[in-house]
Amino acid sequence: MRKHNNVFKQKKLALIIAALLPLSANADVKYDELKAQVEALQNQLNQVQLVLQEYQNQSEKSNQQVEELKKEVAQNDNLNQEIADIKKEVSSAGEWRNPNTLIHMSGYADIGYSSVNDSYSIGNFTPIFHYQYKDLVMLEAELEMAIDAQGETEMGLEYITIDLFLNDYVTFVGGRFLSPIGQFRQNLHPSWINKQVSAPPGFGHDGAAPTSEMGFQLRGGFELAEKNLNYAFYVSNGPELIAEQGHDGFELEGIIAEGLARDSDKNKTFGGRLGFIPMNGLEIGLSAATGKASVTEVELEDAGGHTAQYAFADMVNYKSEEGDTIDLHDEQARDYNVIGFDFAYRLNNFQLRGEYVKTKIGEATRGETASEGANWSSWFTQASYLIPNSKWEPAIRYTDFTAPAAAVSQEQWALGINYQFTSSVIGKATYEINDGLSGFRTDENRLLLQLAYGF
Amino acid sequence: MKNLNRSKYVLATFSSLLLMLIVTTANSEVYPEPGDFAKGAKTWANNCNRCHNLRDPKDLTDDQWITTVFHMRVRAGLTGQQTRDIITFLQQSNNSTPVQKKSVSKVVNSVGTGLTGEQIYTQTCIACHGGNGAGTVPGAPNFSSKNSPLSKSDDELVKNISEGFQTPGSPMAMPAKGGNSKLNEQDVRNVLSYIRAKFSKK
Repeated sequence: MRKHNNVFKQKKLALIIAALLPLSANADVKYDELKAQVEALQNQLNQVQLVLQEYQNQSEKSNQQVEELKKEVAQNDNLNQEIADIKKEVSSAGEWRNPNTLIHMSGYADIGYSSVNDSYSIGNFTPIFHYQYKDLVMLEAELEMAIDAQGETEMGLEYITIDLFLNDYVTFVGGRFLSPIGQFRQNLHPSWINKQVSAPPGFGHDGAAPTSEMGFQLRGGFELAEKNLNYAFYVSNGPELIAEQGHDGFELEGIIAEGLARDSDKNKTFGGRLGFIPMNGLEIGLSAATGKASVTEVELEDAGGHTAQYAFADMVNYKSEEGDTIDLHDEQARDYNVIGFDFAYRLNNFQLRGEYVKTKIGEATRGETASEGANWSSWFTQASYLIPNSKWEPAIRYTDFTAPAAAVSQEQWALGINYQFTSSVIGKATYEINDGLSGFRTDENRLLLQLAYGF
Repeated sequence: MKNLNRSKYVLATFSSLLLMLIVTTANSEVYPEPGDFAKGAKTWANNCNRCHNLRDPKDLTDDQWITTVFHMRVRAGLTGQQTRDIITFLQQSNNSTPVQKKSVSKVVNSVGTGLTGEQIYTQTCIACHGGNGAGTVPGAPNFSSKNSPLSKSDDELVKNISEGFQTPGSPMAMPAKGGNSKLNEQDVRNVLSYIRAKFSKK
């Protein structure tokens, strides 16, 4: 029985061993699988760590970029502010650039020398102010300032006008304006334009040509078949007269035609100019004026033969030291007539121009200064040539001025040489050969130097 | 009495004329109203130097030219249209752009007009230089003459055209780029080539 039990045990053990052997082999397989899985997991973990590291790196980089972007944004804010500031400046500059009202100052000035008194001088400082509202109206005012022999400053209002641009062809000009008779007074007298240092005799103050008028004018121009026509018609207070007491009574001495603000004889003066431009470079002008003028000033001669000038601004009686009485209340208004002709021709650098003006005053048969009439006339011709490829411009002018007073009449040759520093800065030297009444300045030759600047 | 009647008659005539003109006043809503550049160049050259030297367009700024030319409108009897044309010409001619070195100028202004030299000449230059290159205004040279400026080098002429130029002794200055600020350096060279081919003496 025991033996049987042992055998049974042995068999049982054998069966268990037999049964366990395959289990043991199966455990090895699982171990390998597990090991492989662990290794795979380890790899994945490593990859995850790498990815995490990469993400971390990228995050840091992104943070840097964010910081940089923040800086850029901050810079952009500054840039935007700068752009806003610039826009503001441009806007404000634009406001000034295209306003409805424009303000501008131009004009001219000159300094010089005269051999007559061997003196330097300030010729004129002449600013011109312009205030313009759109294309409708312009205020123009020209001051004329100079320093006299005593060093005192003289100042005058050469002209002041309000110009209404009524349409493309007509401008209304009201106020005190330069006389449109001829060309010299209204367009050529500024020192940077005048080719000679001096004005031609008869075309300055107290000459044959009126200098300015007080009233209004209509001016403008037309284009007709590619030809140009310009015009100026005016109504003004007109001039007044100066009479000189001679041995045989009074004689007319001078004309005051400088834009007087009164009309002592209550007769208006009408005048104007028509200009034709038949071809490029040529202009021909015809001028005329008519009206009345009366004596308002007298020059009286005392016992010593000296003359003194008296103005009767208020037309009151005058009583001389000798007891003579002169009453200019009822002076007869005399006929006042002016005619003029002018031309200007330019061919490249050569320029030729001329102008003639004659003022005729009629007689007066009643009044304290009743006398015959008188004539003033002057004409000049001027040629100039800008030497090619240089800045030198020789100019020559001949003038013949005839006035009732022999001491004023003058024949003159003016020989000039100009140097154009720029188109509006001109150095001028003029030698005048004058032929007038012996013993008077109108008979003295003289050298004049001038530096003129038009601005 | 006779003179008094005459005065009244003339005054009445002037007043009627003035009233009529005021009623027909026609000022522009747009200000400054643009004019015609080419006509302005010719009107300026043909009118202004009858009395005085022609000033360089660069002497004054745009707004200064407005008041200056309106002042001259009154003095010289210009029409409103002539005034606008001259202002347009002067305002477009007072911008001087100095010629840069090639590499820079291409960057600064590389757009240009894209036009041929002939087209540029016809649009910009012909008003003063004329269809035959002989010049239509004082100071404009004859390209076919013996002492023509075409004897100068291309670089010198490009500089003169681009920046504006006035021959000493000439009454008129040429505005920068003929007043056409849209031109770039290549445009200037194109029109110069055209001028040489068209007008140079063989």
